[in-house]
This record gives sequence, C-alpha cells and structure tokens, in this order.
Amino acid sequence: MRKLQGIAVSPGVAIGEALVMDNEGFRIPRRFVARDAVVDELERLEKAVAAAATEIAHHRETVSAELGEKYGGIFEAHLQMLQDAKLRSEVEEMIRQRHYSPEYAVSRVLRRYAQVFQRLESSYLAERASDIFDIEKRLLRHLLGRRREGIAHLTSPVLVLAHNLTPSETANLDRRFVRGFVTEVGGPGSHTAIVAEALEIPAVVGTGAFLTEVSGGELTIIDGDKGLVILQPDEETLNRYRREAEELRIQATKLEPLRELPAETRDGVRVQLLGNIEFPYEVDHCVDRGADGVGLYRTEFLYLGADSEPTEEVHLQAYTRVVQAMGDKPVVIRTFDLGADKMPNMARMEDERNPCLGLRSIRLALRNLPIFRTQLRAIMRATPLGKVRIMFPLVSTLLELRQAKMVLADVMEDLQEHNVPFDRDVPVGMMVETPAAVMMADRFVEEVDFLSLGTNDLIQYALAVDRSNKDVVNLYNPADPAVLRLIAMAIQAASRKQLPISMCGQMSGSPLYTMLLLGMGLRQLSVTPSAIPEVKSLCRSVTIPECQAVAQRVMGMEHARDVKNYLKEEVKKYVREITE
Amino acid sequence: MSETAITRTVVVTDPAGVHARTAVAIAEVVRRGQATVTLIKDYQRVPATEVLQVLTLVAEPGETLQIEAQGPDANAVLDQLEPLFAGQFGEEAQPFAK
Repeated sequence: MRKLQGIAVSPGVAIGEALVMDNEGFRIPRRFVARDAVVDELERLEKAVAAAATEIAHHRETVSAELGEKYGGIFEAHLQMLQDAKLRSEVEEMIRQRHYSPEYAVSRVLRRYAQVFQRLESSYLAERASDIFDIEKRLLRHLLGRRREGIAHLTSPVLVLAHNLTPSETANLDRRFVRGFVTEVGGPGSHTAIVAEALEIPAVVGTGAFLTEVSGGELTIIDGDKGLVILQPDEETLNRYRREAEELRIQATKLEPLRELPAETRDGVRVQLLGNIEFPYEVDHCVDRGADGVGLYRTEFLYLGADSEPTEEVHLQAYTRVVQAMGDKPVVIRTFDLGADKMPNMARMEDERNPCLGLRSIRLALRNLPIFRTQLRAIMRATPLGKVRIMFPLVSTLLELRQAKMVLADVMEDLQEHNVPFDRDVPVGMMVETPAAVMMADRFVEEVDFLSLGTNDLIQYALAVDRSNKDVVNLYNPADPAVLRLIAMAIQAASRKQLPISMCGQMSGSPLYTMLLLGMGLRQLSVTPSAIPEVKSLCRSVTIPECQAVAQRVMGMEHARDVKNYLKEEVKKYVREITE
Repeated sequence: MSETAITRTVVVTDPAGVHARTAVAIAEVVRRGQATVTLIKDYQRVPATEVLQVLTLVAEPGETLQIEAQGPDANAVLDQLEPLFAGQFGEEAQPFAK
C-alpha cells in the first residue's frame, strides 16, 4: 500500500483498476493473463523483443551514418540492454510463474531497474533511467500494437493515472468508463480539474512523480475529498473506503427529493441556484438537480484540443444544445477565457513570462476581433432559442468593457443587415474577478446588466498567489478577510443600483460559505452541478437574519483560519456533515 | 596458463562513472576473449557481458570495483579492461557525450 497526497480538485471516492498513461499518452495495460495462454504470451514477448531489437539496430545504423559512431553507440547500449539475459529471464519468470501479462511484466521489471538509477540524485548515471524507459516504451509499443491508444478506447471502468492530461486526450476519452483522475502535475484550475468536475468524478492533481511505480490494472483508490491517492490498498483501507463510497451514495439519494423543492430559506427568501458548466452535456446534470439555470457556461472547450478555430456553426450547435435544454431558465454564456497558448493557430506570445497577468481572456479577444466576433455572432443567433445572457471575462478597465460592448453592437448590426433573427435586449454582464473591477464596481454597474463574482481568479489576484504553486498554495484562501472585503464591496455596488450579482467561483459551491454569502447579500449562486443538492439543503435550513448575524461576525475577523473555524461551527448547527 | 581466477581492483576515474558506453565496451572486450569475467562492487556480482547488469552496479566516479577473470587469457583481458574505467576508449579520450 502506498499513499500519495495531492490537491483535491473534484470530490468523491472511486475504487478501481488503474489505467496508467505515460507522457506520450501511452497506456500501460492490465496485469494477468489466463493460465493456458502463457505459452502464447511468451511467444508474443519473443516476437516483440525481436522486433524492438531490429528497430534499435536500424536506428543505430542511421544515427551512426549521420552523426558518427559515437552517437550510434547509445543505441548499441540500448540493444544490449534489451538483450540482457537476466532481464529476459526475469520477465519470462513473471509471465510463467505469476501469469502476468507480458506488458505488465515488462513494465514491472524495467521500472524496477529504472528505480535503481532514479535513486541517484544529480548523478550522470541517473539519466540512465530514461534509457530504461525508452526501452520499456519501445517494447510495449511492439507488444500492444494497435491496442496502445490511450483513453479513447476503453472496455471496462478505470481510474486514469497520468503525468498530465492534454485537452485533446480528455476530449476523446470514453466517458462511460472513466471513474476518476490522478495527475502528477497541475493545480485546481488545471484542465484535468475542470474535466473531472464536469464528469462529476473524483480527481486529485499535483501528486508529484509516482507513475514509474505503478502498472496498469493495479487496484487504486482516489479520495477526491482529501486529495489522497492510495495504490494497492490493504484490506482494511479498502473496506473503509468501500463503506465511505456506500455512505456517499446513500447521502446523495437522501438529497434527491430536494430536486423538486425551491432553494428557499426558512423565512421564505428565494435563492437562485444555478449550475456552472463547461461541456454541453453537463446541462443535463443541471436539469437533473433542478438548477434555476446555467450561471456560467464556460466556452473554452470549443477551442481546446481543436486543430483549428471553431466555426460559427460549431459554436451555435453547442449553445443551442444548452439553451434549449434549459428552456425558460437563464443561460449565462461567457466568452472565451483563454491565453494565446491555448488557442489553435494562434502564435504564442513571446515574452509571456506570466500568463496569468498576460494577454488572455477579454484582452486576447479584443486583439483578435475575427475570433471574438465569430463567437458573439453564434451567441446572438442562440438568443431567440431561450434566455441567453452574455458575460465578458477578466474585465479590468471600463475601456475594455466599452470596447467589448462596441464589438457586440457591431455584430448585432451586421446580423440585422442580413436579416438574421436575434434578441437585441440580451442582458450583457461581466465577471468581477480582478481587484480593479471591484474597486471600479460603482462605475461598472452603470454600464452592465449584471455582475458575476469569479472568486477563483479574484482570490489569486487579490492575494497574489498562484494556485498551482504548492509552496504558496496555502495562502490561497477564500476565507481571507481581504477577499471577503472585496466581495462585500462588489455586492454593495451592485445592490445600490439594484443590479443582479451572482457568484460563480468554487467558493459558491462550498456549503461552508453558503450562510456567509447569503448574509453578505448574495441571492444568486452558481455552483458545480453536483453541489446543488447540498447547497440547496443548507439554504432551506437557515433564515436570512441568521445568515446576516454570521456575516457580521465574520467581517470583524482578522484571519482566514478564524473565519473558517467559525463557519464550520455555524454550519454544523444546520447540517450534520459538510464537505468542504 | 592458469585456470584459477585472477582478481584486480580498479578505481573508476571516468568523471561520468561506468556509463552505457563503458558497459558496451566492457562487454565487447570480454566477448572477444575467452575468459569469464565478473564485475564486483561490494557484494554485488554481475557478468561483464550483460550491459544492463553492469549498469545496475551503479559504479560512480571514485568508487572501487573488483574485476574477476577466469580463463587462459585472463590477464590480457584485464589489461584491456582497465583503461575503460578511466573513460579511455582507445581512439578517443573523451567520455561518451551526454
């Protein structure tokens, strides 16, 4: 049994077989073969070794001819390592005695060798581990043939363990069978985190390197609440988690009847509970939980993993699916919130040393008007289908907002000229996620129809903390009094103008903050769909004066820790168990 | 011509340690001769012809190894092996490029 601590990014518990992916999206396969297949499997190994040897010998010739003997020499070394007699007998033994699959045996044995070198820090010899991995990869490629594709072709439930998942890998994954994710790198805002949340499966990221120590098919537990990954759990741990998973299921069933009930406080104040989504199919999760609408439809997935920029029709198709599914409930579509590095066919900015503070989001949109206009046209064309709202991300100056609105007006004019139907009165709002937007909120409210607090970025910018940097991530805290004051300022500016204001960051989906946020005056919370039942249940247990008392107390506190501890105690009075 | 094993002690002076190219060169020399050669570091013994096993000795610069040779040309083989631990591969004096 081995425990790894990472960052919890999507809640829940999953128990299952590991599917290990290496850096190249290469899949390390299952563990056992049938007893009577051993002879065939040994033959398969034999063929793979021979094919790999031929390939390496060929490389040796080419490289020697092109770069000289000295460079070809490394392939000679690979060739001899591959043909090492002891290595071979170790692999064969595992297949014969333990009925391991050749793939599993190869990766098991070679990784053991690699570990010998990996233990040597900073030594030149430590680099030999990469030679071993290279040989492993080559052998596996020959063993697996076409079956080596990553997570696109699955036949049974798996937990995906990877160094990092690229947008194109996750875009193609088989949703029916993936039960959880673990990645060695990444933080709370990483692509894996977003996809896991969308799929409503547990995920842990940023565990640090561990993949060389696992092989496909090993029993694994992902604890998405605590950020724990347990490899080859012992019986006791396994039983404990099985019970926990069962309890979670029971709890979810208990909350199910809430679907038909409104999010209304005990004293009769209606709270709007909306869903945050990224992929169109998630709209079904919102409908299933009785969401009051989609409070944040992130549109980044349309660009991520695509080879070319999405066309207006591609946009429209996605928006149509979501807007129609929500019927007469609102759908807030946020225009793309990406950096240039994530856009297909867009030149990477030179000198982008600090992407969070760089050319991204609305800034990028205003510099690349054709792309921005394509998206706005599609959104406008979706307006007659339901209750669409447009939202601009990362606005930090009034000028940006005005420019964005001008582009929108321009798009509308163009559509009208071509007699394309659209709703001219579509509400236009902005994210409040920079301290600058908060400080200028009294001016912004004069020029928008609604505000939405994006706490993930607001916290990062206000506290100057990179969430994916594990050395400072402990400073990233929604309960920090500085953050709470910014939130209070934005709410005050909106309520003076009686402008709708919602919150759509991760903070709004945590029941820990529900009382505080209601007490501060928020009446719209947009949360990850799976959090709706829990937040709703809490809303229905409290009164606004109770929440106001909590908020008043909290606003007088000096430390995030005090705020959190106090909130935990308060919330406990209303619900027995909360997940933070 | 004795059939008893001869053991020689060498210090790894190649600044890169016993790396892949050294291991390949050792294996080549030993295969050309008739003697059976074993490399020993502490309690670990590996056949000199098995490149992967030689590498797993993890012989780093400054460390001491024993080379044990048994066969008619044992001394001659050992003579040829010795310079390899200093990173000398005959035609080039430089260790294998990183």
